[in-house]
Amino acid sequence: NISFHGGESPKGTLRVKMVLLGSSGVGKSSLALRFGKDEFRSTTPTVGCAYLTRVVHLSDVTLRFEIWDTAGQEKYHSVTPLYYRGAHAALLVYDISKRETFIRAQVWLKELEKQYTPGSTVMWLVGNKGDLAQDRQVSVQEGQALANDRDLSFTETSALAGDQVSELLIYKKAVLGLIESPDLTKETFGNKGPKFKDGPHIYH
Amino acid sequence: MSQRTERRGIHVDQSDLLCKKGCGYYGNAAWQGLCSKCWREEYQRVRQKQIQDDWALAEKLQREEEAAYASSHGVQTQSHAQSAAPHPGHASLGPFSKFEEKKTNEKTRKVTTVKKFFSPSSRTAPKKETQEGKTPSPSISRHASFDTDQVSKDFVDFLKNLQKPGREIHKQCRAFIVNMSSKKDLSADELSECVQDFYQSMADRLMSHFKGSSDSVEQVMDQVEKYIMTRLYKSVFCPETTDDEKKDLATQNRIRALHWVTIQMLCVSMDEEIPEVSENVVKAITDIIEMDSKKVPRDKLGCITRCSKHIFSAIRITKNEPASADDFLPALIYIVLKANPPRLQSNIQYITRFCNPSRLMTGEDGYYFTNLCCAAAFIEKLDAQSLNLSPEEFERYMSGQASPRLNSSEGDWPDAGLAHGVPAANPVLAQVNRNLELLSSLSSKQERLMEAAQSLQADLLSWPETVKREVNDILEKYPLEILSCTVSAIDANNMDNDNLPPPLTPQVFAG
Repeated sequence: NISFHGGESPKGTLRVKMVLLGSSGVGKSSLALRFGKDEFRSTTPTVGCAYLTRVVHLSDVTLRFEIWDTAGQEKYHSVTPLYYRGAHAALLVYDISKRETFIRAQVWLKELEKQYTPGSTVMWLVGNKGDLAQDRQVSVQEGQALANDRDLSFTETSALAGDQVSELLIYKKAVLGLIESPDLTKETFGNKGPKFKDGPHIYH
Repeated sequence: MSQRTERRGIHVDQSDLLCKKGCGYYGNAAWQGLCSKCWREEYQRVRQKQIQDDWALAEKLQREEEAAYASSHGVQTQSHAQSAAPHPGHASLGPFSKFEEKKTNEKTRKVTTVKKFFSPSSRTAPKKETQEGKTPSPSISRHASFDTDQVSKDFVDFLKNLQKPGREIHKQCRAFIVNMSSKKDLSADELSECVQDFYQSMADRLMSHFKGSSDSVEQVMDQVEKYIMTRLYKSVFCPETTDDEKKDLATQNRIRALHWVTIQMLCVSMDEEIPEVSENVVKAITDIIEMDSKKVPRDKLGCITRCSKHIFSAIRITKNEPASADDFLPALIYIVLKANPPRLQSNIQYITRFCNPSRLMTGEDGYYFTNLCCAAAFIEKLDAQSLNLSPEEFERYMSGQASPRLNSSEGDWPDAGLAHGVPAANPVLAQVNRNLELLSSLSSKQERLMEAAQSLQADLLSWPETVKREVNDILEKYPLEILSCTVSAIDANNMDNDNLPPPLTPQVFAG
């Protein structure tokens, strides 16, 4: 029930921009790598894993996920809004064994909420490194509570265990969320996205 | 009469060729018959006199002007004129200070024309500057227009494949360019709006034509963008209505002031000691600098993407694993600081205003462009904290009172000299040392070569001698004996012809 230009083409490809936010060292890049891995090939992609794509075929639509990794160091916090401008989905990643990364995730969440009206962007809270249960500093309940409070989806995942199930779950949910999102259909080629009204310096 | 004919011929009297000053050297017609030495002296003398005359004239004019000014401004300024007049020694100050003023004028003009400096295309520059050689030579401007023509030709060729809609697209693009040329007074944002609206309507039309096949639309739109922006580049890149140029200069100065920032301060995981890494770093710097020379927004994006790929390779080689954004952004900042790309802000603004927005928001090019924007913004706001320095240290480095490189390698600074092969902490110093080693090894090779050449020469010289000696020795050893040779004649009467049959005797037949 999504409409494309011309409306009737079943071959349309939707570009989905997905931004990864999280402190450095929470495993954003390994998460990105697992996302970016093609469903049919398992080779590691090119030289970098800062920008990755993954194509997901659904019955009536093809989704092309573009995963934008962001620099997580605190000193780059002021420039991060440049990354998530025009994003359809955002993954807020934290490390369950480091409480400060959970706090940072909340800071980002506040920033994101300044930019978006609820519902236009699909936001995910991801607790990473699920296998380090003995060093856990952030409980599952805490994560879930935050997600419920802010109307986010929540998952815990592990890079080491290669927990594919939870990722597929994220995908499925992401896709379903996006299909419901009214903004996405306006973002195909040729249409004006959000304008850079005052150039790239919006963070002053 | 006879002398004249002689002169008309090629014969020239020896005295005519000599220097007219009689110094004994040969003269030259180009130097008015003087020899080179005398000509120089003469020329200097005349020049000096000319300068003195000019100076005197300038002083005279200055005095006259002051006098006229004083008389026209009545009593109030008269004291001024009087105070100037009684000190003839200070009179020379007049023209000189004027000269100074002119100099500063020129300086400010230079600053304002920096844009023209970098501009690869030909702007209509004042004639005077062309003479000074500050503007690109005419050959460059011809080259630029040739490029534009080439782009138009390519565009037409591309559209031919589309047949009828192709002609329609061409018509619209040309009409749009003509339309834009009449809108030169618009602000940059309004210009951007016009171009974006055009892209939008064009894309919509193409969408309905290609029935939603976004790939074909994208292809055509890329060509349209290329054609339009090559044509409009001159008038919309860094337009005078904006302060882009001021921002460019500010960024440039800022990057220059930050020249002391080291790769360690930015926590960049690139080890430039590895040749392959430093090769990639150099390529990345070249690509980001090249961005300014492109006209089409997409080509500029292409330069940024190439630069980024080289950075990724450099990090991958250093860390032996694919680079994440945590590694990439600091590395890009480092590259931008090292490259100090010309007109960085203008280029970012130009791409932002005139590139198809979907290219900037999504896609690989868009991602790298966003990173470049982040790098530029970070450099603008960079402070002590972002480099893990104390504010005092930062201030000292910024003011040039101290240099982190000197401090960090102070211990081994004297040791890093020529004789020691110890790798210095400073990569530049290490490079210098390597070069010195290379040079000394080359010079010893050269010496060895020279020695070999000399011995070869000596051998060659002595060779005929040895051969001669040997020949003589042999000659002495086997002296030439000329044996008396007995001349034999068949008909001679010798004793050996006994065995021969008797000579034939003529037979007489009676006839």
